[in-house]
Amino acid sequence: MYANHYDGGASHFHGGGFMPSQATQTPDQAGSSKTRSSTTSTTVPLTIKQITEAYHLNDERADFLIDGVEPSLVKLLGRVLNKAERVTDVSFLLDDGTGSIEVTRWVSDSFDTDEMTKIENGMYVVLIGKLKAFQGKRHIGAHAVRPVQDFNQITLHFMECIHAHLDNSRKATAVPATTSAMNDMRAYQTLNVGTGASGDIREVVLSVFQEPASLARENGLHVNEIIRRLGLQEQKIREAIEYHVEVGNIYSTIDDDHYKSACNG
Amino acid sequence: MDTSSPTVFVNGELLKLYMGRRVRTVVQVTRNEGGAVVGQSTDNQQLTVKGPNQSVPVMHFMEVIGVADGPQSIRAEICTDFGSNFDTASYNGLCKLANGQFKNLFL
Repeated sequence: MYANHYDGGASHFHGGGFMPSQATQTPDQAGSSKTRSSTTSTTVPLTIKQITEAYHLNDERADFLIDGVEPSLVKLLGRVLNKAERVTDVSFLLDDGTGSIEVTRWVSDSFDTDEMTKIENGMYVVLIGKLKAFQGKRHIGAHAVRPVQDFNQITLHFMECIHAHLDNSRKATAVPATTSAMNDMRAYQTLNVGTGASGDIREVVLSVFQEPASLARENGLHVNEIIRRLGLQEQKIREAIEYHVEVGNIYSTIDDDHYKSACNG
Repeated sequence: MDTSSPTVFVNGELLKLYMGRRVRTVVQVTRNEGGAVVGQSTDNQQLTVKGPNQSVPVMHFMEVIGVADGPQSIRAEICTDFGSNFDTASYNGLCKLANGQFKNLFL
């Protein structure tokens, strides 16, 4: 099934696949497009360090949050170590200089086996796969593994990691400006928020409270929901909430953890 | 390869900041003398690489992963021939970014 995607190394390995303005997105939705994972397929280039530090949302669904995005697929580049071939799968350790992670490639037909026989220990490879966690340990289920032939690809991959990271973080400052336009859309989108100035965080937190869905709830929102949505530190979000309470934008409802917007939206 | 310590992307300038630590860099081989290879870093400094794997031909680019044991010297653990077609300017830029603003993605 994935065989066709990687002929000639076109779409998956080029920068065009990583940016949110891909395929299904209209221009004014571009800001939040990356996170609607049910309809958008996002491939994010990552360093293994980013993976080990990713915020793990839900143990059963194995969803991770990186820079405010839940990637469906990840792209990694590194050296192969400890390659082990078994009947139904090939596994190895991928080390990219920032960390290492176990990778498993299931082989079900000759295309898969041929692809994996070319891979040897010590070789640089690029891989695309799904990030998973099992009993607290993270690993990758690879869909495709290719040897690196032009070593400029190494520089390129890490540049792409930086670029994607910047792009996702930068969405934070763009989103508050467009949030009011999106308020009449169904609100359950995770906002991409970066670690910008505290003013930005306050705006974004307020905008979450002012969404129609939030206004419709009798007891408002729980602090933890805001934290989950925005992917920010609890301390920063509580600070923003305190500010808004002082100013009179929001008020607490059933207890100290539930707040609601005082405005009519 | 010791997977417990991350390797820092360095050029000639950054090498001296990571003395005693595992680093990785790319040099262009200028000469091969016995047990050491002399190469030019991506920021045009001369670096000496000591250790095994000296089979990279002159004028080819070589990636060195090892321990920085001098301001311009690396004790190599792994050397890889990167061929003759390598963009040093981009790699140099990557070293600066990976040690500067985006250090948290790498180390």
